[in-house]
Amino acid sequence: MKWTLIRTKVLAALAACLVVGVGGILALMYYSFARNSRALAAESVTGAQKLFTILETREISKMTAVSETLIMNPQVGDALAARDRSRLIELTAPLYPKLKKEGITNWMFHTPDPDMAVFLRLHNPAKFGDHLNRFMDKEAARTHAMVAGNELAKAGFAVRILRPVYDAHGGLAGYVEFGEEIGQFIHAMKRQTGDDYGLLLSKKFVDRQFWADSSAVWQRRDNWDDNANFVVADKTTDNDSIIQFQGEVAAVPAQGKVLEWFHEGDSAFVRGIFPIRDAAGNTVGAMFVVRDISGFYLAMRHTRNVLVLVTAVALALGIFLVLTLLNRLVFRRLEHIIVVATRVVGGDYESEIRVESDDEVGQFEQLFEQFRLVFVDLMAHVPELQEK
Amino acid sequence: MSQLYDLKVLIENKIKADGLDAMAVKGKIGLRSGRTLALISPSTPDDPDAVAKLRQAAKEVLNINA
Repeated sequence: MKWTLIRTKVLAALAACLVVGVGGILALMYYSFARNSRALAAESVTGAQKLFTILETREISKMTAVSETLIMNPQVGDALAARDRSRLIELTAPLYPKLKKEGITNWMFHTPDPDMAVFLRLHNPAKFGDHLNRFMDKEAARTHAMVAGNELAKAGFAVRILRPVYDAHGGLAGYVEFGEEIGQFIHAMKRQTGDDYGLLLSKKFVDRQFWADSSAVWQRRDNWDDNANFVVADKTTDNDSIIQFQGEVAAVPAQGKVLEWFHEGDSAFVRGIFPIRDAAGNTVGAMFVVRDISGFYLAMRHTRNVLVLVTAVALALGIFLVLTLLNRLVFRRLEHIIVVATRVVGGDYESEIRVESDDEVGQFEQLFEQFRLVFVDLMAHVPELQEK
Repeated sequence: MSQLYDLKVLIENKIKADGLDAMAVKGKIGLRSGRTLALISPSTPDDPDAVAKLRQAAKEVLNINA
């Protein structure tokens, strides 16, 4: 194959068109996939954030209703006012397993402010008398009204309500607190959406020793060193590798953030994250969302393959047609002119150029035939040839 | 006899010996050398440049060392 030939150059140009065409399709499909997967990830983050807020609101309502029912019983207020722990246990302990079954894992009574020590933990009755000094405690003491929100404490990260309890005379007997582990939210979210979730806690708000102790109590692996800035408090998948986030939890924007899409085996996933704030407004954690987009990915890949195949076939057919046309209209006729010209120079004055059409090559054929006739006439008058 | 004419005879003999298409081969040599072989006669004066070109053309087309 000679690069000086027009045929070779045209073939190269058409092959380049084929490559550019297929490359363009691939680039377009990749762009489309990246855009759509990003939209899916954004939808996952927004959807998960809304679902989390709905669950949070629903559970706060539930705990508010439970607390409302509880404080209507004057015996509870009186027992708390009298610091009668046994009586309080007698009144409330039978209810705790039922509430626990409904997700309320933490139930505490506090003494009134300013002391506000833990008077009774229904979930751990042997432990009491300590001071928690949390934002919610201070808010409840300041307002003497119900305070609700997320609070990261030694017992874990939970959505809580804390409200005052009054005795039969209307005096402040203390406070009652209910809490639900946020970790259990993600399992409910997984059941509803099918997506995977991970609850991340910023290390700034978690005590290292507490994490090691609680890991031992819950018989879970101490994963403190898995990530630089956060610990994974709970997750809906056994696969640790899909939860990957390098940044600071506190830097995650309020509306959430789409991270990226990635492959794992034949599956494709998109990742996103949104912050979780405590009652004081600190970003203490984040919810990591992983959506399996394998179905979408496979459909896009199938479309891409079909498009590439159709484009390649169409361009190959186009190349074949262009080359056939060029061969018939140009190359073959030029080759004939070359053969005739060569033979005429070689002494075959009878060879003629066939003028096949009136196109550009036909005009050249006509011109060359006229030139040939002049040449033959000229040769006929050369004395050396006349002698022969 | 000129060198050009000797070359022409050599070329014609080779074409005859190999049974080649005389017009096509002579045409190729003519186009490459810039000389029409039919116009070379025993009395054609030698031109070193023309001889060299014809010799080169004969080598390229017929692979003969004249």
